[in-house]
Amino acid sequence: MSGTIHVTRNDKETIIGVKGRFNFEMHSQFRAAYQSDAGDDNQGRRFVIDLAGTEYIDSSALGMLLLLREEAGANESDIEIINTRPEIRKILETANFQRLFKIA
Amino acid sequence: MKILIVDDDPINRTILQRLLGKEGHEVFTAVNGRDGVEQFGLHQPDLVLLDIRMPMMNGYEAAQEIKRIHAGRFTPIIFLTAVTDEEGLVQCIDAGGDDFLTKPFNRTILQAKISAMERIRRLHARLSAQKEELEQHQERLHQELEVGQHIFANIVRSGNLLDAPCLNHWTVPMTLFNGDLLVASYNPAGGLHIMLGDFTGHGLSAAVAAMPVADIFYEMTAQGFSIGDLAEAMNVKLLSIMPRRMFCAGCLIEVDHRQKSLNIWNGGLPDVLVIDGSGRLAHRVVSTRMPLGIAPMTREDRKVEILEMHPDYRVFLFSDGVTEATNAEGQMYGCERLEAHFDGSHAPETLFQAILDDLEAFRGDARQSDDVSLLEIVCDRASQEPRESGRGRQHAAIAPTPWQASFFFSAQTLKSVDPLPTIINAVMNLQAPIGHRERLYTILAELFSNALDHGLLKLDTRTKKTPAGFIQYYTQREERLARLEAGSIRIDLGHVPRPEDPETGAPGGGEIHIAIEDSGAGFELEQIHSQLSGNLGHGGRGIALLRSLCHSLEYHGRGNRAEAIYRWSL
Repeated sequence: MSGTIHVTRNDKETIIGVKGRFNFEMHSQFRAAYQSDAGDDNQGRRFVIDLAGTEYIDSSALGMLLLLREEAGANESDIEIINTRPEIRKILETANFQRLFKIA
Repeated sequence: MKILIVDDDPINRTILQRLLGKEGHEVFTAVNGRDGVEQFGLHQPDLVLLDIRMPMMNGYEAAQEIKRIHAGRFTPIIFLTAVTDEEGLVQCIDAGGDDFLTKPFNRTILQAKISAMERIRRLHARLSAQKEELEQHQERLHQELEVGQHIFANIVRSGNLLDAPCLNHWTVPMTLFNGDLLVASYNPAGGLHIMLGDFTGHGLSAAVAAMPVADIFYEMTAQGFSIGDLAEAMNVKLLSIMPRRMFCAGCLIEVDHRQKSLNIWNGGLPDVLVIDGSGRLAHRVVSTRMPLGIAPMTREDRKVEILEMHPDYRVFLFSDGVTEATNAEGQMYGCERLEAHFDGSHAPETLFQAILDDLEAFRGDARQSDDVSLLEIVCDRASQEPRESGRGRQHAAIAPTPWQASFFFSAQTLKSVDPLPTIINAVMNLQAPIGHRERLYTILAELFSNALDHGLLKLDTRTKKTPAGFIQYYTQREERLARLEAGSIRIDLGHVPRPEDPETGAPGGGEIHIAIEDSGAGFELEQIHSQLSGNLGHGGRGIALLRSLCHSLEYHGRGNRAEAIYRWSL
C-alpha cells in the first residue's frame, strides 16, 4: 500500500504533498508531480516537499528526492522539505540530506 | 481444416461429408462414440461434429473422453442434436461441447458455426503458443539468475567474512540477490576491514552495483589503503555508474588490534552501536557522511571516527532492514526495541542471538520487505588468527634479482597522500616474495610512521597511554600534519639476491635493505628506545615488533635514519 500525492503550484513554486507511505511505488506519481515544472524553462522555481502526512519514507523515496534535485538544476536547485516528523527527519539526517536540501 | 464427423446414421454422415467436402475441408467419419474417440486419436482433427444418441458410447461420453485424453489442445466440439429443450442443450455444454447444431442441418448456419469455431481455435492455439514461450522465457531467466547469483556470491564472499574469529553475521536477502553487501578482509598490516552497504532497491540492480564496490573493497584493502581511501574510491565509481536515484548507504570499519583502535566511516547507515562488558551502550557512531554515489567527497568526508578499542567491546552494525522489519499489523521493529537490549540485563555474549530471536518473534510470519543484515564485532577476538587464510592475491614467483629504488616525499606530498600502498605494490611487482607482503608492509609502515609521527610531527607516544590521550594523539597528528610546511622523508630500498647454498641446500632468496630518513631533529639515541617502546604500552606496535620481523635494525645519524634488513627465502 502506498501513499497519495497532491500538487499545488503558482508562478514561483510547486508544492508537492505526500500522504501515507512514501516508497518505491510512488516513483511515477512523484515524478509526474514535478516533471512539467523542472527543466531549463523553469530556472529559479522553488520546490516544496510537504511531508506532513507522510507515515514512512524509504530509500527509494530518498532516491526520488535526489532525482528531483538533479532535474531541478542540482546545486542551483531550490528545494525545501517541510513538516518532517522526528522519525522522518532522522532518516533524512542519517543520509545527511540536510547538505543537499533545506529541511524544516 | 480437418473435420471429424461422428454419427451412427449413414445418411447424416453422407450429407455432412458432401457438404463439408465441397467447402474444401478434409473430412473423416466415425460410426459411434467409441469409434469417434479412436478416429480422433488417429487424425487429430481441428473440429468435431458429434451426434448424441449412438450405440457403444453416446455423444456426451465421447466428448468427455476426447477432452480428457487430449486435455492439452483445444479442439472445438459441435453437438448435432434433434433436441431443442434447454436442459438437453445445457447437457451438451456440460459434457464439454462448445456449441450445438439442430437437425435438420441448415447449410448457412453450419458454415457460420464452423468459421466461428475456427476463429476460437486459432486464438486458443496462439494463446497456448505464447504461454509456452513465456514459460520458456521464465525458465531461462531463472536459470540465468541462478548462475548470476552463484557468481555474485563468489565475488562478494571471496574475503574473510566467514573466517574472521571476531565476526558474527546474519543476512537474509529479500530476493535471490542481496541488496545488502556485507564484506570483510584483512589488510596487509593484519587489521580487519569490514563493510556493510545497503543499496537503494533490491535484487539484480542492487547486486550489479554491489560488484564493483566489492572489487574495490578487496583490491584496495589488500594493497593497504585506509577505509577513507576505500570510501572515496567507491564513491567515485558509484557516481560514474549508477543512475541518479540510486545510492549506497554504507559503513566501513577498520578493526586495528595493534593500535587498539576502531576506525569507523558511516555514510547513511543506522547508528553503529558499541556495547561494553556490562552489556550497555558505550558509544554511538552516527552517520556524519552522505551515502556513497550521491555527490563528490570533500577532504572532510574522507575522515573517519577513531575510537579506542577495549577488549570487552562489542560493535553492532545493521542495515535499516532490521529496524524497519514490519509485523503483520504494519508496525516497525524500530530502534528503541533494538536498543532496549542494551540495558545491562543481557550477558554481552548472548546479545546477538537475543536480538535475532526478538526480531523473528516480532515479525512473526509477516512478509519480509527488505534485505536484512546484522553484524557483531567481538573486539576480544580481534587479535586471533583467521580460521583459514582468505584468498590472498596470487603473485607469480619472480627469480631474485638485484635492484634499487628511492623515494623522496616533501611535506606537501605527505599532507595529501599516503605513499605506503604505492611503495609496497612497487616492491611486490618487482620482486613478489610470496607470503612476505604482510611483514614487509608492517616493517615499512612502522618505520614510516615513526619518521612521520615522531621525526616530523614531534608527537609523543606517551600521550596515548590514557583513553583521553588516545583521541588527543590522533587529533594532534591531524592538526600538525595539516600545518606541516617544511620537512621531508626519504626512503631507499634495495634488494640483494642470495643464491641457494650448495652445501647445506638452504634455499635461495634475498635481502631487502630499507633505509628511512626524515629531516627532523632526531632523538638522543638512548631516547629512541624509550620513545619507540613507548608505543608498546598502548599500541602494541613499535620497536619490539620491528626487531622481531627484521634480520637487523639500526639507527644512525642523530637518530633520524633507520636501517633495516629483511631476509626472505624462496
